[in-house]
Amino acid sequence: MGFILFFIIRYANARAEESSKNKIVTFEKMTMTTNRIIANYLEDEQHLCDIWVTYINSSAKDGAPMTAQDAVSFIRKSKISQETEGHLIFPDSPDRAGISTTAKVSDPDDYTVSYGNIDIFDNIESVSGQDNAVNLTRAYTNPMNGVQSIAFYDHVTVLDEKSNERKDALLMRVVPLSRLEQKLVFLKGEYENAEISLVDSEGNYVVHGKSFKNSNFFEYYKSYNTATAKEYEQVAEEVSGGTGTMTIRNYKGEDCILSYTPLETVTSWILLAYIPAGDLAASRSVDWLLLGIACLGFILLLIFNSTVMMIYNRKLSDAAQQANQANEAKSSFLSTMSHDIRTPMNAILGLNEMVLRDSRDESIRVYSESIRAAGNTLLGIINDILDFSKIEAGKMEIINADYSIVSLLNDLINMVNKKAEDKGLVFITDIDGNIPTTLNGDEIRIKQVIINILSNAVKYTPKGSITFSVHARMAEERPDSVMLRVSVADTGTGIKPEDIDRLFVAFERIDEKKNRNIEGTGLGMAITQRFLGMMGSRLEVESEYGKGSVFSFELEQRVVNREPIGDFEEAFRRSISERKTYREMFTAPQASVLVVDDTPLNLMVFVSLLKKTGLRIDTAGSGDECISLFGRNHYDVIFLDHMMPDKDGIETLEEMKTIKDTPNKETPVICLTANAISGMREMYINAGFDDYLTKPIDPEGLETMLLQYLPEDKVTYSSGQDDAGSSELPELLNELEELDIDSGLTYCGDAEDYIMALEMYSDSADNKAEEIETYWAARDIKNTTVKVHALKSASRAIGALKLGEYAAELEQAGKNGDEEILDIKLKELLSRYRKLGRDLEPLKKLTL
Amino acid sequence: MKKTPGILLSLSMAVVLLLQGCGSVKSAEEDFVPKYDKDTEFSLTVAGSYGNFESLEAEFERFYEYYPNANLQYVTMDDYNNVISSALLNSEPPDIFTTNSWMIGDEAYNDLFDSCEVLSDPSLDIDYSCIKESLIRTDDSDRVLMLPIFTTSYGMLVNMDIFEKEGLKVPADYGELLTVCGKLKSAGYDSPMMGVDRFSGSGLYNCFAYPMFANDVIKNSDRIDALNALEPSSGELMRPALERLDEFVNSDCIDLEKCREEITDEYDSVIMRFFEGDVPMMFATGDVVSGTAKRESRSDAFVAHPFQYRFYAAPAGDDGGYFINSISICFSVNQHSRNIDMANEFMRFLISRKELGNMAGLKRLIAPLDDFSSDGIYSGLAEIPEERSFSDKETGLLDPAVRQFRAAIYEVGNGNMTVDEAVAAYGKIPEE
Repeated sequence: MGFILFFIIRYANARAEESSKNKIVTFEKMTMTTNRIIANYLEDEQHLCDIWVTYINSSAKDGAPMTAQDAVSFIRKSKISQETEGHLIFPDSPDRAGISTTAKVSDPDDYTVSYGNIDIFDNIESVSGQDNAVNLTRAYTNPMNGVQSIAFYDHVTVLDEKSNERKDALLMRVVPLSRLEQKLVFLKGEYENAEISLVDSEGNYVVHGKSFKNSNFFEYYKSYNTATAKEYEQVAEEVSGGTGTMTIRNYKGEDCILSYTPLETVTSWILLAYIPAGDLAASRSVDWLLLGIACLGFILLLIFNSTVMMIYNRKLSDAAQQANQANEAKSSFLSTMSHDIRTPMNAILGLNEMVLRDSRDESIRVYSESIRAAGNTLLGIINDILDFSKIEAGKMEIINADYSIVSLLNDLINMVNKKAEDKGLVFITDIDGNIPTTLNGDEIRIKQVIINILSNAVKYTPKGSITFSVHARMAEERPDSVMLRVSVADTGTGIKPEDIDRLFVAFERIDEKKNRNIEGTGLGMAITQRFLGMMGSRLEVESEYGKGSVFSFELEQRVVNREPIGDFEEAFRRSISERKTYREMFTAPQASVLVVDDTPLNLMVFVSLLKKTGLRIDTAGSGDECISLFGRNHYDVIFLDHMMPDKDGIETLEEMKTIKDTPNKETPVICLTANAISGMREMYINAGFDDYLTKPIDPEGLETMLLQYLPEDKVTYSSGQDDAGSSELPELLNELEELDIDSGLTYCGDAEDYIMALEMYSDSADNKAEEIETYWAARDIKNTTVKVHALKSASRAIGALKLGEYAAELEQAGKNGDEEILDIKLKELLSRYRKLGRDLEPLKKLTL
Repeated sequence: MKKTPGILLSLSMAVVLLLQGCGSVKSAEEDFVPKYDKDTEFSLTVAGSYGNFESLEAEFERFYEYYPNANLQYVTMDDYNNVISSALLNSEPPDIFTTNSWMIGDEAYNDLFDSCEVLSDPSLDIDYSCIKESLIRTDDSDRVLMLPIFTTSYGMLVNMDIFEKEGLKVPADYGELLTVCGKLKSAGYDSPMMGVDRFSGSGLYNCFAYPMFANDVIKNSDRIDALNALEPSSGELMRPALERLDEFVNSDCIDLEKCREEITDEYDSVIMRFFEGDVPMMFATGDVVSGTAKRESRSDAFVAHPFQYRFYAAPAGDDGGYFINSISICFSVNQHSRNIDMANEFMRFLISRKELGNMAGLKRLIAPLDDFSSDGIYSGLAEIPEERSFSDKETGLLDPAVRQFRAAIYEVGNGNMTVDEAVAAYGKIPEE
């Protein structure tokens, strides 16, 4: 609209400018017309003067020159107008004296005239004697009557009465200036404010317009127009040199149009026509009216458009509101899903953990392991969805803290190594020994990123190897940082070049058809890329379809301890040692814990998980019950569920904080919740909880948290307990070479469970061996392999590590269909199995 | 205790100033109130001898604010003094015209004054009380036929920048003049004072000695008739001024030869030479000063190195300089004007403190007011005390006596006569 208005204004201005130009051209034409009128008048007057001159000079030519008196008498008779005078002057006389046709007004008898004090004859010589020329004086004061006049003149020859000789004289036809001015009256009809002036070549006024100040036009120009000396000279030359128009400022500072042209008949004179520029400006009223109408039209159009836009905006706003509601519903759904899935998962995984710990039946343990694996996978999927939800909501934060790179690498390798091994892949590590020991960064997210990449590598690599490399280099311009380059190379399926971009699109799965059996949400890489982006890095992918891929990224981490990790094997062992200490079971029989949850199953799981710590655990099924116990008993830590009917965890906590008379003023309260969506941690900390633990409860996480909050004097680390357990074992076990007692105890938990496991192993040995033999005799290689797999697991569980390894070798041979090896080695395996079973039989007697 | 007189003086001055302020408010002229319908259409012509009259044209514009349909024009008449009498009788006579104080009493202008409107006629309502009474000329019948528009004086232009540069004060009396000139001479100024060596009112001798002579004449008013009658014995009255002039031209203050060579006319040349910027003091009249503004831009030297300058009375007397206020031009109204009422109306408008002050400011002449503005270029004159300030009318001198004095100073100044010879030759000294 602005453009159209601009266009209209521009068009109107152009038209107005054109119109003004036309008016100026017309004004110039008027100047030329005036010039013609003046020229005609001057020529006429000069002609009349010439008639006098011709008559007087003809007498002289005829040999009877007139005397001055005769000549004046002749003129007196021939002139018609009373205003016109004839002056016969003798220029050579001292006072330029002569005779006038008319007497002085101040003395009716005095006809003498003198031009002694009037300097109008300076240029006479140069202008006289030309054919058809107008010989004209400047405007001057007629000495006879004081009237401003002009005079036309020419030379005559008269007889000097005294000397009786011919004498040159100047005959002047003196006309009041007003006569000339009257010729210009016609202008007033068309141009009311126009003024005409005549100036000589030096700018002195001959006819003086009202608005022209000073006595000289160029002086006037100089007085009211700012101009340099050069510009001033230019204007003077222009005006005295030809015809044209220019804009000048008048004494009021207004712009005026000045049209100038040399007088046709007296070219040394210049005609100046002057008019205020405003008088020639085109009338803009029609333009403004049109512009007003256009503006009004545009305003109406604007109102119409605004109304339509408002209606559309309202619809869009409604749609946006609906979308927001849908988004809120999604968030609510995620929250609910999180809670609703995690709550039963807590029971499933917690109780499964108990099964794993307590069961002596190998096959049940195998099933339980599968439950744990499936549960963890399910949790991973939920966690991925929740992470992505957090990222989308912009609520995911990178929280930096100091961490041990060795520990991080150990965790990663431990997590992936087994998966790779299970799939028959070779897992190669290439760890730079110069990586500083302690770095500062978000260990959890880094771990998550690398796990995602490694897990994918394992998932999509059917055979071959996975190489995990971590290298470090100094960060440029940041001496306190290190650049970690992490890369994972696999010999897997690879990615088609056209699919690489889709790799980072959420919920997209590449080669879906081919990889349908590989579980996943399609979020892993998208989350990885987002996390790396938040940490100032990005994932790079090089891949060759069918041959494998390399995923890599470079990450800047602040260095806390520059000591290099050195040989990773050694570091690995050191880390294991540290972790062993960290993960060791503890006992705290003097410590008491309160756990609050409305679901009895969850309470049971919680209590069971901590059974062996010796902790005194009170349970409460509601907020009110919790408050009651809180006011009565002292607890070292309180775990409080959030989502409870009637009084939820936050309300309960708020009430607890108001209770002054309680032994638990300093007791930390940890929120126990299945809510794991974005922003929950902040919410719980802000609500007054000291910490936050998600369900399903990670047993190790729970113990770690307890170690953090329980008073140290009430905690006894359980490393000595193992020794105690070991010492309770029958002596005969120490004599069995097949057994690694420490491994058995670690796996089974305590001596009691270990003995139970050994008994079960012994009892089933013959039957199991027989089953294997039967299947092998029938050349049922599949079931033979399954049974060998079970033997492997069972042997490892009781610490029969070598036997387990031997079974693993045969299991692989079975998987590979290598009957030859089975033929050779199965017999020995079963023999060693039966022998161990027999060697363990005395245990029954001891336990009876 | 010592402060008490000072405080009292300050308080007294404050009270005086306050009262003056009230007085000035009380006596302040009211704004011009037009007598006639503002839509009245009329034309007036003002005739004069000035080549241009921008300050008057500015007044025309101001007058148009009251009478927008008026059309006023200034016309320069050739051979003005000879033609004006005829012009008043012709068919297109000027409505207002300029006159000079010396015209009154001159028979040649009897007809002219016969044509003049009597401006003192109360019915015209022209209030000329703002004009200094000593500047009002009347005819034998005590009628006011002309009213002064501008006045002039005799003195010197002073280059203030030179005085500031040399750390000098403008000399206030003759003793200081000699001292200052000596210092300026030492500083390298060959002729600390310059002026045109002409037999005229603008000549350097006149500017230096005439105010002193006029003062002596006023003090010896009993001898004025003899002086005007050109009695030789009365020439003695010229002696103090002639002796001071003789002493001055023979001092280090002025190099006459240099003046004769470098200053060729009494108007343009005086101004342009002064604008060269190396002349500390230049003798000049108010009329010369009126031409300075326009010529500043014409002087390359002044444009390149502009400086501050002011007009002072020449410090010829032992007690200081003398401020003689002479009429420059007057306006008279043609009683035969075809627009006589409007011509008088314009005079009624023009003759006011405000408009006369405006005109004098533009023209750089001295307004004929009883308290002419002490701002600007003439501010130095305000410092001259009352006893040394007077108008030429107060001297009672007639033109012939003045011309004899000018002839005497021209002869003495140029060394053609001694002071004694000039005094003795009074009445018979050759005039140019």
